[in-house]
Amino acid sequence: MRLKLILFLFFIALPLAVFAMQGGERKKANTIDELVKMYDISSCKVCHRDIYEQWERSLHARSIYGPETTGRTAATFWTTITHGLMEWEHSGVKKPEDVRIEHLMPCARCHLPQLEDATDAVAQEIVRNIYALVKEGDENAAKTLQKLNINCLICHNRNAVIHKWVDGEPEPNVIYGTKKGAHPDAMFTAMKPSPIMGEAILCGQCHGLGPMFEFDNPTQCATLYGSYLWSYVAKGGSKTCQQCHMHKSGLGHNMQSYRSPEMAKMALDFNVEAIAYYWRDGTRVIPQATVEVKMKNKAGHVIPDG
Amino acid sequence: MPIPQQFGRGDRMGRGPYEKSGLIRETSLHPHETRTERFDIIFPPNIFDMNVEVELWYMPYGTKEVDGFLWNRADKTLSVSKTGK
Ligand code: HEC
Ligand code: HEC
Ligand code: HEC
Ligand code: HEC
Ligand code: HEC
Repeated sequence: MRLKLILFLFFIALPLAVFAMQGGERKKANTIDELVKMYDISSCKVCHRDIYEQWERSLHARSIYGPETTGRTAATFWTTITHGLMEWEHSGVKKPEDVRIEHLMPCARCHLPQLEDATDAVAQEIVRNIYALVKEGDENAAKTLQKLNINCLICHNRNAVIHKWVDGEPEPNVIYGTKKGAHPDAMFTAMKPSPIMGEAILCGQCHGLGPMFEFDNPTQCATLYGSYLWSYVAKGGSKTCQQCHMHKSGLGHNMQSYRSPEMAKMALDFNVEAIAYYWRDGTRVIPQATVEVKMKNKAGHVIPDG
Repeated sequence: MPIPQQFGRGDRMGRGPYEKSGLIRETSLHPHETRTERFDIIFPPNIFDMNVEVELWYMPYGTKEVDGFLWNRADKTLSVSKTGK
């Protein structure tokens, strides 16, 4: 009798385990914590400490919260819901509780692409945290929102392949970079080259061309990749985003903009000329100064983006 | 700053990414482009020396004090003659 029971359990347990492994990547997250776990990078920190610490200082590490000092991205998500979705007749949102994944994707498409792997329950949890942050200044909500971000596994796995008919879907246990071989992580056991790791398109996929027409109600935020293509490259520029932001700046994974002195220094040639003289205008003689300020943009796109 | 159009229609600028769609006017500084801004300043009566401070600020949103970034500055001292024809 006892033996029979054990066999019985064994039989159902085995197919379940296989099913869980095959379907594991597809099963959607039901809570913020589950979504964070699906893209867990705590192991990376152990072996790639320097890169991890660089990344932690970048805006990618708080991509739905925004700059540490302002939390502007979360605040703008709030405005989007309150003064966008809730005010538009045909959005299907009358109150914050009506917000679903489809209402957040027009922002999350770039700010949190892995939100596609979550259920509406996660959309609701995010909205509750955004309201708690904006309405009550809730510190815990600020912390929770910063757990959701563009981390190692977004650039080195999920979003490392763009042309899926050419290159295939990104594989679950592979770290995409420039090398091929074994990788000592317990989950991500192999390394494969991504054909775009050193190309502008890797960054361009989120850094915007113009209105995002794939949505029922298009959004437009960053349009910087558009100006890279049609203004920088068009005028003969040939550097990639990675060359300027990761190498020339010396900042590596701490990809930065105008906030950092390194980038501010790289941004412009700035030159001021001034002369003073008497200007004769009919009967009047007017002492005046002329100040000429010359600014040359040395970045790979327009300044500012917006 | 680029001036994005609200919902791709009309003459109103949109501010939030949820309402921007297009451009009404483009005033940003383009790559490789040199922009010259010229300022003519008249000396106040009986003043012959002037100190001009030029500051370039990047302001993502709001005011200089709240969220502004000083990129460059230059100081110039200018004088005009006190006598002459
Ligand atoms: C095309 C991808 C894309 C979409 C869609 C998008 N964003 Fe952005 N957003 C970006 C990128 C990239 C940046 C930062 C770079 C920049 O400003 O050039 C940014 C910057 C921002 C900032 C400024 C943060 C700061 O530094 O202060 C806010 C706020 C923001 N986004 C909110 C939103 C909201 C809300 C939505 C949806 C209504 C949205 N974005 C849709 C890509 C996008
Ligand atoms: C925004 C995208 C992005 C994110 C996020 C990101 N990386 Fe990278 N990473 C890159 C790119 C692009 C390169 C290749 C840079 C180049 O062209 O040299 C790279 C290179 C690397 C390399 C090999 C080169 C080197 O510098 O040693 C390692 C290791 C690496 N990343 C680890 C990480 C880890 C760990 C994290 C998370 C803490 C992370 N990356 C997050 C884009 C990203
Ligand atoms: C046990 C240590 C260890 C852990 C954990 C680990 N890595 Fe690595 N990783 C390495 C080593 C060692 C290399 C260099 C392998 C080589 O050059 O042959 C490497 C290489 C890389 C590269 C560069 C690949 C290339 O082609 O240039 C990336 C990207 C990377 N790791 C990302 C990650 C991410 C993301 C995580 C977390 C999910 C992680 N690593 C966890 C040790 C580790
Ligand atoms: C998965 C989408 C995604 C990818 C891929 C990506 N970024 Fe970003 N990046 C963003 C978002 C979203 C923000 C703004 C986060 C926020 O709201 O503050 C951002 C912010 C930045 C900023 C800071 C902008 C600011 O206003 O301070 C820089 C610089 C930057 N990214 C450069 C890069 C470079 C270089 C690459 C490629 C190596 C890259 N990004 C790849 C989405 C992405
Ligand atoms: C020739 C060097 C160069 C290249 C190429 C370049 N950048 Fe930049 N980038 C800069 C400099 C310098 C700044 C600082 C000026 C600024 O913040 O406006 C900057 C600023 C930014 C910002 C902040 C924009 C803002 O609102 O002010 C983002 C985001 C960004 N870069 C992303 C990218 C991406 C993505 C690419 C590739 C498509 C790229 N950059 C290519 C030099 C470069």
